[in-house]
Amino acid sequence: MAVLISLSLSDMLVVGLVYGRLIPTKFAGLTYFQFLVPGIVVVGLFSAATDTGRRIWLALREGVVQYYLTLPIRTGGLVGAYIISGGLGGIVYSGALLAIAYLALSFLGPTAIPVQGILYALVLIPFLFVLATGIAGLAAFFASISRRGEMYWVYAQALQVSMVTISTVFYPAQTIAQYLPAPVATIAEYNPLSLAAGVLRNSAFGGNPLDTGALTNLLSTSLPLAILGALAYWTILRTIRLKGKP
Amino acid sequence: MNRVLTLAAYNVRILLSERTWFFLAWALFGLQIAVYGSLMSKLVSTAVPNYLFFYAIGLMVITVFDSGADVGRHFVEHAHEGELPYFLSLPVSRGGFLAAQAIYGVANTMIKVLPPLIGVLWFVGDLTVQGAVFALISMFLLGLGITGIMVSMSFIAFKSVDIYSAFLAGLSALIVRFSTVFYPLIFMPSFYTPVSVFSPLTYGADLTRWVLGFDPKFLLNPILAAAVVTGVAVGTLSLSARIVDKVIEGVKAA
Repeated sequence: MAVLISLSLSDMLVVGLVYGRLIPTKFAGLTYFQFLVPGIVVVGLFSAATDTGRRIWLALREGVVQYYLTLPIRTGGLVGAYIISGGLGGIVYSGALLAIAYLALSFLGPTAIPVQGILYALVLIPFLFVLATGIAGLAAFFASISRRGEMYWVYAQALQVSMVTISTVFYPAQTIAQYLPAPVATIAEYNPLSLAAGVLRNSAFGGNPLDTGALTNLLSTSLPLAILGALAYWTILRTIRLKGKP
Repeated sequence: MNRVLTLAAYNVRILLSERTWFFLAWALFGLQIAVYGSLMSKLVSTAVPNYLFFYAIGLMVITVFDSGADVGRHFVEHAHEGELPYFLSLPVSRGGFLAAQAIYGVANTMIKVLPPLIGVLWFVGDLTVQGAVFALISMFLLGLGITGIMVSMSFIAFKSVDIYSAFLAGLSALIVRFSTVFYPLIFMPSFYTPVSVFSPLTYGADLTRWVLGFDPKFLLNPILAAAVVTGVAVGTLSLSARIVDKVIEGVKAA
């Protein structure tokens, strides 16, 4: 966790500050630093949640999963535990980052953060939890289908780079729509990371009322991912239970 | 010499069998240039003209850094999976063993970097043989330096792989973020500049940009950059040769 925090902190306090000097434009009244910091919180949540995939992959590879299957717990319970742990990991980590981000923006941002923003952040926690379970589910899916060698890391790297790059974490939706083809702009708009970053910028840091449309979209894009991952992991556990191997 | 090359060829053959990684590296490079690079270049265009090219070189330098880190990880994995005693029992000197690892690292770096370099130079209309060759030499020297640093640090892994991995992740964060990989030194806040000048990537990235003709007002002095990159390569490889010679015997398999 300390390593993940140091990565996110350096993104926030080094990359964010330097790009802030390079980009004078304001985005909906926000400086680039103010724009980027909520995005980094979401990327942190993403990194913590995908750790679930790594743990599933290791458990499958090193045979620990055989031990899990001997425990007095149903297969569905095991699957649920992994997905929930991914969600909680994401929340704990992004919560810590959120607190650091509030401090950073209070000292380095041009304006104070509204008090109601902190209340909105608390309301957003369950939604961020669902997002983290969705990402954990996606990571679990890739871990479950990685049959040989280091294939999981290929999927994990591809997932991270594509989801973070094609999102509004680093650049506003208008810029994407202006310079890239429409399908890419649509993917970026409905990317759960974009939705979460947008809600954090608008409400948790901007103090504006929560956008229920964005929250609905966040739930409707995250839940299917959580279900997909749970199903993939459940299938592989069931196969191991019946045949003794994946 | 022949035995060193045989050992290096064995490592490179294993490397070439992992084609998926190369295709993934090239594809993700393309994606980052096409999306992140092109969009950020629009946003910072008033401060840094031709930022797409600046960023593309930075991304290649990160690839060089990752490849160097790969060699360190490869070395540590050998140690902890019990293969190291086998390699040490071969009729190859410790220096030869290190040279074989370095050749593996160079091959890994060149395969990952050469297609993106040619692609980027062609895309920006600046593809010349001498530009590509000098850029490769610059990145090759930087890669040797990074490999030397990573192998030198591998003695930490002989105590604990977890500490080594955590240390490397932390070090990578600092070395990359504080360097001029993504932004010119002149735009860094003054309190970060002293840290930035300690990152070898700062010199490697600016030297590569300079040989490719990027506006020098955004770069470090090329003579200083070339001296530092060469010094780091020679210094850290000498250090890692000493470490391989002295510390390696006590390594236990996990």
